[in-house]
Amino acid sequence: MAALWRCGLQRGLRIATALSCGGIRRGLRTSAYLRMVGVDQQPGQYHHTSQTYTAAQESSSSCHSEQHGEKAEGFESEEELRQQLLSAALEFVPHFGWSMEAIAEGAKVLDLSPAVTGMFSHGPGDLVLHFVCQCNKQLSGQLTEQHQQVQTGQQEAKKTDRFVKDAVEARLRMVIPYIDTWPQAMSILLLPQNITESLSSLMNIVDEVWYYAGDRSTDSNWYTKRAILAGIYNSTELVLLQDTSPGYEETWNFLKNRVNDAVNMAQSVKQVGSTGKALFQGFVGAAVTLKNLSGVAQNR
Amino acid sequence: MRPSPSGRLEMARAGAWVGAAALRSLLRPGLRLSAAIAWQRAQAARYLSARAERTMLGRIIRVDHAGEYGANRIYAGQMAVLGGGPVGPVIQQMWDQEKQHLEKFNELIVDHRVRPTLLMPFWNVAGFVLGAGTALLGKEGAMACTVAVEESISQHYNNQIRMLMEEDPERHKELLAVLKKFRDEEMEHHDTGLAHDAEMAPAYSLLKNIIQAGCKAAIYISERI
Repeated sequence: MAALWRCGLQRGLRIATALSCGGIRRGLRTSAYLRMVGVDQQPGQYHHTSQTYTAAQESSSSCHSEQHGEKAEGFESEEELRQQLLSAALEFVPHFGWSMEAIAEGAKVLDLSPAVTGMFSHGPGDLVLHFVCQCNKQLSGQLTEQHQQVQTGQQEAKKTDRFVKDAVEARLRMVIPYIDTWPQAMSILLLPQNITESLSSLMNIVDEVWYYAGDRSTDSNWYTKRAILAGIYNSTELVLLQDTSPGYEETWNFLKNRVNDAVNMAQSVKQVGSTGKALFQGFVGAAVTLKNLSGVAQNR
Repeated sequence: MRPSPSGRLEMARAGAWVGAAALRSLLRPGLRLSAAIAWQRAQAARYLSARAERTMLGRIIRVDHAGEYGANRIYAGQMAVLGGGPVGPVIQQMWDQEKQHLEKFNELIVDHRVRPTLLMPFWNVAGFVLGAGTALLGKEGAMACTVAVEESISQHYNNQIRMLMEEDPERHKELLAVLKKFRDEEMEHHDTGLAHDAEMAPAYSLLKNIIQAGCKAAIYISERI
């Protein structure tokens, strides 16, 4: 009796959480849907994450929740359901575009009712953001691996401009399988309801690339570097979309030139700074000499 | 089902709602008691999702980094005016400690991948102007500025220490140790300022209140921007 009541309380807590956190519609839909599909729910566990935070841990992507505990049969949580559904839907994107039809096809693959697409309040934006987050995680994994290989001496450290160019190229290559429908995806990302998430994923990309390129600045340089890289990334993405050369050679050349421009600009700014200082000192010296020669303000 | 990362407050509220409803509907007192115990246990097992914790730590480290940077610039301004005078060595010594604090926060910013505040150039200028401006009021003015700023910063560190202790003292052990040490050193600076006739400054309480209001605004802004 007590066990039954406990189960009911936990279920109620879960649904109440969904109600208050995710919006009433979403919670009701989830519980109704789960009852309809007849998924066997396991009692949720309130885990205390005891992992200590280390440097360069998992990327701060906003669309994936952490998966703790053992995988139960069926879907343990709504979050997991969303992730699996969107991953399945990606296969149908080349055919159906970034749309609810692709998600519905993905639902069919997982033996779910197509009505489950109602779970996505942002429509196709959810699908695009899921893909973008997946790519960012992949990039982050690749950069961490490279970093570890450099640390253990298996690989030589690349120069900054080469590293940045390679990282941006790696990230853009992940888009190539979907390149025919990518303009549609980019316009979806610019919609007002998706713009915050897409901006934060862009921030994530540039932050990861700069961190692993060795940037440790803690002042306004942090912002200038990332702003410049974001500009390079966006412009290269646009070039990639209308590139028809074999192997996208033009795009990678464009990228290399932009990265070199940025590095040269940084160097010339430094040079201008030191030249400016030298010039200023020259002027001060000239002024003092003139003052002495003309005998102005001498204390006799 | 895992609660979405939008806050344990919502979870606690939802738990309270469901718990209260469940309690009201129960008739047997034994079940009511076990319900109360179970609900309390659920409350105690609360935790911050990784994302919320990252946001909280990010805010703490960002605002502290901005604060130490500003304090550095304030002392730099004071030294520029009073460096040659009798109180120069005192200010220099306090400035050196602040430099150490800033170095430590530079490390923490890199370790936790926190972004620094956007207003760094502004705090650069504002801090220097504040330090130099109060130093122009004389040695007592400089000490009054030190007292006001250090008191503000100590209160701020205390708030953060309290927040981290409420969350999980074990998990944030290192950060707590750093904050406690820095808070103690800032209190020392505060006492040094008082010992060097801060209260004799012209319009001391007005000056102190204005500076502390400015500090509160700076803290609020730097946490977010």
